[in-house]
Amino acid sequence: MTGTVTLSQAQPRRATASLSVTLMVNGAIHDLFIDVRTSLLDALREHIGLTGAKKGCDHGQCGACTVHIDGRRVVSCLTLAAQAQGYDVGTIEGLQGVDGALHPMQQAFIDHDALQCGYCTPGQIMSAIACVQEGHAKSLDEIREYMSGNLCRCGAYVGIVAAIEDVAARTQG
Amino acid sequence: MTDVPFPNVPREDARQKVCGAPIFGADSPRPGLLHAALAVSTIPKGRILDIDTLAASATPGVRQVLTHQDLADLQLPGFLLGGYGFQNFQPLRSPDIAYRGQPIAVVVADTFEAATEAAALVRATYAAEAFCPTIDSPGVDIVDQADTPMGQFLTEPVAADADAAFAAAPIKVDIELKCPAQHQNPIELIATVAEWEGDTLIVHEGTQNAEGVRHGLARVLGIPAGQVEVISPFVGGGFGQKNSLQMQTALAAAASRRAGAPVKLVVPRTQLFQGASFRPASRHHVRLGADVSGTLLAAIHETDAQSSRIDFFPGEYAATSARLYGWSAFRGLHRLIRTDTQTPGFMRAPFEHPACFAMETAMDELAYAIGMDPVDLRLANDTILDPITKRPFSSRHAGTCLRRGAERFGWQARSAEPRSMRSADGSFVGWGVALGAYPGMMVSNVVRLTANSDGGVEIAMGAHEMGQGMRSVIAAVAGRKLRISPGAVTVVIGDTRAALQQPTAGSWGSASAALAIEAAADAMWKALAKLTPDGVVEGRSPSEILKAAARDSLDVETMVKPPGQPDDVFGLLRSGLVSRAGPVFDDCVSFSFIAHFVEVHVEPRLRRIRVPRVVSVADCGRVISPRTALSQVRGGVVWGIGAALREASETDPRYGGFLNADLAEYAIPVNADIGRIDVEFIDEPDGLLESGVKSLGEVSLCGVAPAIANAVFHATGRRLRELPIRIEHVM
Repeated sequence: MTGTVTLSQAQPRRATASLSVTLMVNGAIHDLFIDVRTSLLDALREHIGLTGAKKGCDHGQCGACTVHIDGRRVVSCLTLAAQAQGYDVGTIEGLQGVDGALHPMQQAFIDHDALQCGYCTPGQIMSAIACVQEGHAKSLDEIREYMSGNLCRCGAYVGIVAAIEDVAARTQG
Repeated sequence: MTDVPFPNVPREDARQKVCGAPIFGADSPRPGLLHAALAVSTIPKGRILDIDTLAASATPGVRQVLTHQDLADLQLPGFLLGGYGFQNFQPLRSPDIAYRGQPIAVVVADTFEAATEAAALVRATYAAEAFCPTIDSPGVDIVDQADTPMGQFLTEPVAADADAAFAAAPIKVDIELKCPAQHQNPIELIATVAEWEGDTLIVHEGTQNAEGVRHGLARVLGIPAGQVEVISPFVGGGFGQKNSLQMQTALAAAASRRAGAPVKLVVPRTQLFQGASFRPASRHHVRLGADVSGTLLAAIHETDAQSSRIDFFPGEYAATSARLYGWSAFRGLHRLIRTDTQTPGFMRAPFEHPACFAMETAMDELAYAIGMDPVDLRLANDTILDPITKRPFSSRHAGTCLRRGAERFGWQARSAEPRSMRSADGSFVGWGVALGAYPGMMVSNVVRLTANSDGGVEIAMGAHEMGQGMRSVIAAVAGRKLRISPGAVTVVIGDTRAALQQPTAGSWGSASAALAIEAAADAMWKALAKLTPDGVVEGRSPSEILKAAARDSLDVETMVKPPGQPDDVFGLLRSGLVSRAGPVFDDCVSFSFIAHFVEVHVEPRLRRIRVPRVVSVADCGRVISPRTALSQVRGGVVWGIGAALREASETDPRYGGFLNADLAEYAIPVNADIGRIDVEFIDEPDGLLESGVKSLGEVSLCGVAPAIANAVFHATGRRLRELPIRIEHVM
């Protein structure tokens, strides 16, 4: 009843359900054959090799995995990869221009030092871009409220709000 | 070099971070990578009688399931102080269960999904034993720290006869306070990617202590340290939790060796509440004696702090509280409470935050007992001499911090009476102040500095970047010393292949790095002088000298140790062992200081406590990287708000373990919790080191929680001596 059992010795309990999924990520097509339970986050990180989205909780509590689906921000850890088929998935890796130019929000995060360790930063930036596009960046309090799904344990919130305020002013002004 | 402030420039690695570059341990892609998951104990103490892995092994995609029956040859890592592990305990080494949530099996599978499913199918039967999970558990074992092995090198701070002075004092404060267990919760999960190339183990893991992980793995796995490489260029937040060998690293390494393939083990957030260290719960008994004019006559600080049954995690609370003011008599005492938990550990300002909460709450109570302004009371008891050793502080601008902070905050408009200030929406307004202190410490280093004729400079040394801006500090100091742009400096840190690694902790990173780089740069200039015909390097850049000498590059390796340390510290460094110097040095005592001024609003109906603004003035010596230093202090204030109003790790005494083991139940501050944070630096160079820098990362948190608690008293008239302070405490 105990000890190591290798795959060859074990009797399969049942077949794992896998399926073919085609994902469009940052404009590129990826054909995957994955476990049906694979989250969009794990599909990006483990199967497509885009590790910008981070795993901080796997429960939709921290926001480090935030990506865009058709421009809307979602936590990719609570989204099955299969659900994303047929939609445009946008990640932090897709923000830069072809010449390597930073997205204005990325530049604003540098300018306002809106980061420390950098682990939550991709999620913060994806959320921040959506926050402005949603029209939820009209005041400091509104930015704070609509950015509260993205935790930053280093405590870079003051810089994050300043970066978003900066971009929002230029976008709306 | 200390006479000119450093420029405010963007952090060195900001671009990689805003681009989501694959810089963290679990980002590392590998062909054929397998995924591991842990099954954990469902009892808090006892012994595994039988463990059933059949269902787990039969799960499609599973390669192996390892238990204590497979890994009994693992060795103990030793406890961090003298060893390598956050605790001297290695799960899966034996059937013994020391705490709820302890790993009992590791499953390796082709996919993360299969490994996770299979781990949940592992079943064990146990012989359970009685246990004491909290510091309040009946019958829990309490020991005097002086009677433990820790007592040999941690002496209690004592000056004169504090008990007699307290007894004779005309005005007394005598209070008990409580701080909860807390968890660091860096957003980067603790994770290992382990792979073997022949006999060499290569580990990618975010750690603050790559050398300790390397030597710890060698000890646990029984292989030479020369066969282990640990790569940790970036840490996604550490806060002390990643300062040592973690429990899963050797498991991933052992699993990888057996599987013949690289293995990734990302420990889920819930398991980390039991699987890694935490801030121990602590009780504080503080007594202050003063005369009617506000002169402090005596202070006594006694602490009961949580430790584990496995190790003696020491308490050093009074070592900081003793240095806050110039009392003529002081006595500290530490007792340790041995709970059946994993061993607690270092969480940002591990002792100093609770110590400052206890002492600075007492100071506010004393101010009200005397009828004196809390800022004036503190200024009246400022000191330039350390009251314990009678040596001068290397520098101390605590008074200036208080005066500048009071002015910037507008403190003079405060009405002293509790419940006397209201905002326009009817909220009760409270203004509170507190001082924070944190020791100035340093570690040794071996630096390899390479100057190239193309103008570039490479520095390989022992340091880790976990968000504090380590690369910015290194580039700034090297750039100034070598008269080149910081942008021309390539920094290689957190990599045991490049240089011996020191743990980056205890706020000693900047001071230690600056100390090391200055010496390395001096050695480089000496070596460059030998390449010139006239021995003159002034007015010339390293690349000019190299080009003139027809050299492509020049290497120097420099061993640097803090003032007063013996040469054998390099032996400790080579063994991956911690060897800090300070805060007491031959001629001085080094502490950083900070004054926090806080405004709280307590809403009239819901009684929510909000913190709309904080003013913090820091004395950390010379500020080497103004931009990242500012972020450090803001982050410390956010931590203080969390500590004061949100964070506690809850234990059900019936079952052990930690209950609120995720980021929804363990509430850390979110963006909407944070208002305005104004930060100012004294930026006066400290005299101990050429760089003039002292500690910053942790002092920034010290004093925030008592400033908030004092502000809550001012707003509500409620004196709250237990953290965190929540709505139900101000109803």
